[in-house]
Amino acid sequence: MASFPRTVFALTLLISALILQEWPAKTADAADKLVVYSGRAERLIKPVLDEFQTKSGIQIELLSSGTTELVNRLQAEGDHTPADVFLTNDAGSLEHARELKLLRPMNMREVERAIPSQFRASDNSWIGLSGRFWVVVYNTTLVKPEQIKSLLDLAQPQWKDKIAIPNSGSEYLQAGVSVIKTTFGDERTKQFLQGLKTNAGSQVYQKSSQIVEAVAKGQVAAGIVNHYYIYRHLAAQPTAPIAAIMTDQQEGGMGAIMNVTGIGVTRASKHVDSAKLLIEFLVAQAGQKLFADLDKEYPLHPDVKADPALVDRHSFRAALVPLARLAELRESTLTLIEQVGLR
Amino acid sequence: MLTATRVRAPSSLQWISLFTAAFLVLPTAYIVYVAMTAAPAVWARLWSTRIPELLGNTLSLALGVALITLVLGVSLAWITVRYDFPGRRIWEWALALPLAMPTYVLAYVYAHLLGMGGPTEQWWQLLFGHEARLPSPQSFPGVTMIMALDTFPFVYLLVRSALQNLNVSFEEVARACGVSPWATLRRVTLPLIRPAIAAGLALVILYVISDFGAVSLLRYQTLTYAVYQQMTSRYDHTAASILSLLLVVMAIIFLVTERWFRQRSRFYQTSGRYRRSTRQHAGPLGTALITSYVVLVFGAAFGIPAAMLIQWSVEAISQGALDTRFLGFIWNSGFLAALAACGAVIIGLPLAYLASRRPSRLNIACLQAAYAGYALPGPVAALAVLVLFTHFAPALYGTVVVLIIAYILHFLPVGLQSMEPALQQVTPNVEEVARTLGCTTHQSLWRVTLPLVRNGFVAAWVLMFLQTMKELPATLLLRPVGFDTLAIRVWLEASEEYYQLAAPAALLIVILSLPALMLLVSKDWRGEAQKGVT
Repeated sequence: MASFPRTVFALTLLISALILQEWPAKTADAADKLVVYSGRAERLIKPVLDEFQTKSGIQIELLSSGTTELVNRLQAEGDHTPADVFLTNDAGSLEHARELKLLRPMNMREVERAIPSQFRASDNSWIGLSGRFWVVVYNTTLVKPEQIKSLLDLAQPQWKDKIAIPNSGSEYLQAGVSVIKTTFGDERTKQFLQGLKTNAGSQVYQKSSQIVEAVAKGQVAAGIVNHYYIYRHLAAQPTAPIAAIMTDQQEGGMGAIMNVTGIGVTRASKHVDSAKLLIEFLVAQAGQKLFADLDKEYPLHPDVKADPALVDRHSFRAALVPLARLAELRESTLTLIEQVGLR
Repeated sequence: MLTATRVRAPSSLQWISLFTAAFLVLPTAYIVYVAMTAAPAVWARLWSTRIPELLGNTLSLALGVALITLVLGVSLAWITVRYDFPGRRIWEWALALPLAMPTYVLAYVYAHLLGMGGPTEQWWQLLFGHEARLPSPQSFPGVTMIMALDTFPFVYLLVRSALQNLNVSFEEVARACGVSPWATLRRVTLPLIRPAIAAGLALVILYVISDFGAVSLLRYQTLTYAVYQQMTSRYDHTAASILSLLLVVMAIIFLVTERWFRQRSRFYQTSGRYRRSTRQHAGPLGTALITSYVVLVFGAAFGIPAAMLIQWSVEAISQGALDTRFLGFIWNSGFLAALAACGAVIIGLPLAYLASRRPSRLNIACLQAAYAGYALPGPVAALAVLVLFTHFAPALYGTVVVLIIAYILHFLPVGLQSMEPALQQVTPNVEEVARTLGCTTHQSLWRVTLPLVRNGFVAAWVLMFLQTMKELPATLLLRPVGFDTLAIRVWLEASEEYYQLAAPAALLIVILSLPALMLLVSKDWRGEAQKGVT
């Protein structure tokens, strides 16, 4: 019967042993390890990082989570953050992290050679890796492409209960609304959002992949997504009745809304050299090709071609709002989104 | 009782217990503070935009699920207690099985089964024509049905236990006095099992309003889900705190209701001429009807989803899903859950011990404080811990410590419910004998009390271990680098509709939950039922 106190004692020992075993793993100053906080869908970035790990021998520890959540986390962890690198799919959030002094300015010749300056922070504390466009995906059996010329068309009453949209927490929706607001002003943007809200009803999704899926099944006629989800879906199911529309291309129109996947080294990182190796790998032609092939994004390196299935990058215009401005626009965009009561 | 009246200086145990209680209340208090001191403009904005919709959605879901679980739970309890039919003993047990299936697992299986282009739709269209559409699992009826299938066993188990304890003489007297069977049911039986029904429904409602897994996968906007969304998409947590406050208030209301009914349901006069009701033998037609009803409910709530998970798991495993990474997820789940369960037992011990041995007002208040975690849905527990740590100990943010604290906060009440009665069953006399034989307080605790309460504590440990292993929202929000658990993998894969890849982890969670379920069914409900008989 006296075995219970002994059990308690053994348990306490066990716990301490477990903690001690995990602890050094976390704090060890292993030079060949990089901790990556990533706001991207894991399956879009893990293959690329795996490739780097095999090539360089540097071990990658990946934490996939929400972009804003990770910015909050980096800020809370401050100097103690285990993260060496922050990688995510919204320039506004990266710029915001820079303003919070969470990222480290970088001086890298390889970057300056490979990535045009409009896709980087002024001090290179974040560096764009690949481009994506916020486009309309439509079901080819339900919609004719000429029915949708502009994103704003989706707010018209004829699309009631026929469209799917991302939830208002997604950073790329916020970035998109910021661009629309800068182009058309608050009033028209508000009307647009109200229309979207009414037309989408309950078809508000957490993930772009789900929207593409819903459009492919004919559950809705059209949706707004990042372009590469369409092509990834088509690569897996070539017969799916879906296609993309690059919107707002008419004379004097806004242009397609662009955002980038970007990367920054944290200010607290103790593995800057390894982090530089990762960035070099990602901006080099081989790395850029991975983004093009695996993720169906537009490489930012001018010499690397996008997947031929994509709409030719030279055939359409991007909106003119600079990426770095997305950070300062965000707060007023959120207010607008909340006034409309978008989910 | 001698010990209780003796005057004592506050012992070290007392200090520990006070400190623990303060520690457990602090995060919640801080959330309330943040919400109450938020700018009126933020409150106004939330009231004019989100809150009415969220309150409406949450309450209508709770009500809808309560209604369906009422019908399913009471009818199934009635059938299994009052009728005899082939396989009754197996069905009795099987109908509790849905509790082993986390809501997010059931939700994702049904998202596939009933979804557009899913297998059920093809049958549906064969029957009703090519254009026929199934009710969507993402709609209000869909979510309600799925949540009800997952939670009806709460009502079923409590009502079944009440029906077993019910003294059939009351009914016989009514019948002998010429009351019709229907009127007997309405005027005698139902009032007697009403407390059990109410307690079951309160549990169901509490479960529904704090659920995150199913509503997030089915995109149904409730307060709990909105708290998570606010936390993951805003730089400041004021709005999330406000929604949390509403949620906590709502949870406390249902919690208090549940406790009230549960206490009332305990007082049954079963002394004297207590007789169990005899089972009515179901004829061939009755057997057919009963069996098809039970099979239908069991199949929808457990059989079909489990079969689906097994099929997907086999496919995924044949494609090499069981790699070292997967073993890592199992290790993470086990590690975190073991740590949380051990921590909770150690923290809960002084609280439960003092409250049962020296039930002073202070000690009881300390114990009640530990129960506060009950009113904290997962995202709120995470938010509370997160906000507190970012302000006062940012260095710990992102470490295992923060996550474990959130778990303990969230699940300690579950453990205390097993620990408290275990301690109460040991009479103080035994300890006093030990003291008179020359043991110090600590020795008697260590050598007498602890060995006696071992079983209750093991049960508490197992329950907390399994609850932690299934936990989703707090883990999502607070996990450190490299700490993906099985639950996280299910949710991540399922939310991108990679159903096969999610299946092995989901199946493992279901299998590991079975022992806890057996514990729950045999201890909490059956135990009481048997006590009533003897």
